[in-house]
Amino acid sequence: MLISLSEKQIGALLPAFLHIDTQLNISAIGPGISRHLPHVRIGMPCDEAFHILNFDTAKFFHEGRDVQPVSLIARDGDIQLNGAAIFHEGGCLLAVRFAVSEEMFADSTMDLRDFGHADPVILSTMLIVLQRAMLEESQATAIELAHERQRSADLLERTSRLAGYMAHDFNNLLSIIRLNTDRLVRQFGKDAKIGKLANIIQEMASRGSDITQSLMTLSLQRTDTRQPLCMDAVINDNYGILDSVLGPNISLNLKLDADGRQTVVSYNDLLNALINLLINARQAMPLGGQIDVSTSVEAGPIHNDGAAHGAAPIPHIVIRIADTGTGMNPALLARAFEPQFSSKPNGTGLGLASVRNFAIETGGDVWLESIEGKGTTAYLRLPIAGQVAPMLDADIGAMPKNAPKVVCKQKILLVEDEPYALEALVEMLEAEGYAVTPCASGEEALVALAQEVYDVLLTDVVMPGQNGTEVAQLACTIHPSIKVILMSGYMPDSAALQPGWLFLHKPMESAKLLQLISA
Amino acid sequence: MYGMIHRAMRQMVHEELGEEAWLALEQKLAIGPTELLTGMVYDDALTMQIVAEAAARLNLSVEQCLFAFGQYWVRFAGQGSLSSIMKFTGQNLASFISNLDRLHLAVGAAMPGARLPSFATLENAPGHLVVEYRSDRAGLESFVLGLLQGLMDRFQARGDIEVLHRGEKSILFDIRYQDRG
Ligand code: HEM
Repeated sequence: MLISLSEKQIGALLPAFLHIDTQLNISAIGPGISRHLPHVRIGMPCDEAFHILNFDTAKFFHEGRDVQPVSLIARDGDIQLNGAAIFHEGGCLLAVRFAVSEEMFADSTMDLRDFGHADPVILSTMLIVLQRAMLEESQATAIELAHERQRSADLLERTSRLAGYMAHDFNNLLSIIRLNTDRLVRQFGKDAKIGKLANIIQEMASRGSDITQSLMTLSLQRTDTRQPLCMDAVINDNYGILDSVLGPNISLNLKLDADGRQTVVSYNDLLNALINLLINARQAMPLGGQIDVSTSVEAGPIHNDGAAHGAAPIPHIVIRIADTGTGMNPALLARAFEPQFSSKPNGTGLGLASVRNFAIETGGDVWLESIEGKGTTAYLRLPIAGQVAPMLDADIGAMPKNAPKVVCKQKILLVEDEPYALEALVEMLEAEGYAVTPCASGEEALVALAQEVYDVLLTDVVMPGQNGTEVAQLACTIHPSIKVILMSGYMPDSAALQPGWLFLHKPMESAKLLQLISA
Repeated sequence: MYGMIHRAMRQMVHEELGEEAWLALEQKLAIGPTELLTGMVYDDALTMQIVAEAAARLNLSVEQCLFAFGQYWVRFAGQGSLSSIMKFTGQNLASFISNLDRLHLAVGAAMPGARLPSFATLENAPGHLVVEYRSDRAGLESFVLGLLQGLMDRFQARGDIEVLHRGEKSILFDIRYQDRG
């Protein structure tokens, strides 16, 4: 015998213990049994109070075992006890404990007293309950964090939108200052003193414009201008950048034959599209080599809305970017422009998708042709400026290589809700020989459009009532050949712009405006 | 202390003064949801800053606020997902207090890094308990008084709690009570 324990001590270790004598009568019980099975009394036959599950009671003491697993179920109620039967000379100690379930935690009358101090099942069940509680709280916390992040994002969005509005309004004021200073110079510039003062004002206006530019960049507003750009010149001017995109193992070979033709785009967007196509080509050429970039002028239907059949031929500039890389199989090729789709291990899948958006917004299209193992050629087609309307193949040869200079007495419909800007613009354009019809609102412009045919619509974008893009849309419906120039403190959503419309960022320089009108 | 404690503090301020008051407190202390992560251990200094700031807003002294928070904690833990474990810890004052260490043993296993107290029942007679509280933290006497009061409330007992002795790492509490009013 190692130790002998008192009933109380056994009760502290095993609060639900039972002891039975050799006659199978209960001779001692733990405090847990007294609390939860009060009808169980000392002296009572054990099988009157319990079903003994894994024993034949008739042979209970006849098998000469020391220790045997045992399970009891109270005849009265649904309490189950599990543990070991420990046999000794004077009888058997049923070293059992109440069976534990998670439900028991929630709705039973039992508590920790009913289980031994070192009971591992109780410790782990409590652990599970605690961890579940923590998990629930953690889920609530995660939701709070997500809300907080959303709130911060909303705040940032609101702040940047506000910054955008402020920049827009400020740009409008700067525009008025610039236009009116130009006016001053035109009228009194011969006086050296006035000329000098006007220069100072112009310089300050441009510094102000730099500030609004930063504000707009901060508010993720686009600050570029949509204007006719000479494709070959853009590619030539950016040879250094484009070449550096390809890295040292790939050489860039240019063959530019677009003959000085222009396309109406934002400079940055065009450059981004070229860079994305080159990155795509480079990634297909891990062993290096040469990429050919060529341009040409062609006519044919543009396939940018999925309805190529029956589309009228449009003269356009084709940019071909041909690599001698790994090429793509038809399955990859079919998905290449899908956003988030990338065949490269660390590709974002956004590059080609953004090229396609750019092409569509500009009224052009883009596609790839590829032969596995031989390489891929990307074709980007962009409409030639001023030629969005249908034209036959034959017209292409006849097209003048340089756009004609200002055609005087061109009729301009000018829409601007800022009276000082309107006044200055009218004066400047009339001085340049244009016939100007000024309108202070979109509504006035619509009336004017219904009465007369105009060569150019020059309109502010953000105006109360009918806005500039709505006026432009109607103008194009009534007079499809009208040239649209939008001017604003910030660039409207590209979805609101039609291919071929020009966009001038305020505050604008008179010279730039005149250049766009005559382009 | 664990973020779980901060969340309970927030809940108390919410219930007493409303959400705005808590947001103002967060702003004052330059804290936010990242200081309320259930499973994170924060410096006790931050916990005490929160208590002090809440005290100012509740128009209480720090000690009174600790007491109120102790009382509140028992209610807080008695609701929601901790309620079953509270119930399981004990169904009367004496047995609950004698099982507190076993409760915190499980808490310690579930929340690593928690510095948990120990409660020993030195005397247990009907209507009278002498309880020894041990901790490696100082300054939580009012909190423990509030907790013990909260437990009396939980078991609808009425009575008085007094401090019998203050040791370096322990405090002896004398609890005289009457069960169920
Ligand atoms: C389900 C219920 C409970 C849970 C989950 C719980 C959990 C905790 C946790 C997480 C801490 C903080 C430890 C740290 O972060 O370092 C703590 C501290 C503490 N708990 Fe509990 N607790 C519970 C119930 C109680 C009750 C009813 C009392 C009543 C006396 C109590 C008394 C204390 C005390 C006094 C402290 C402060 C620690 C110290 O003195 O060092 N707890 N508990």
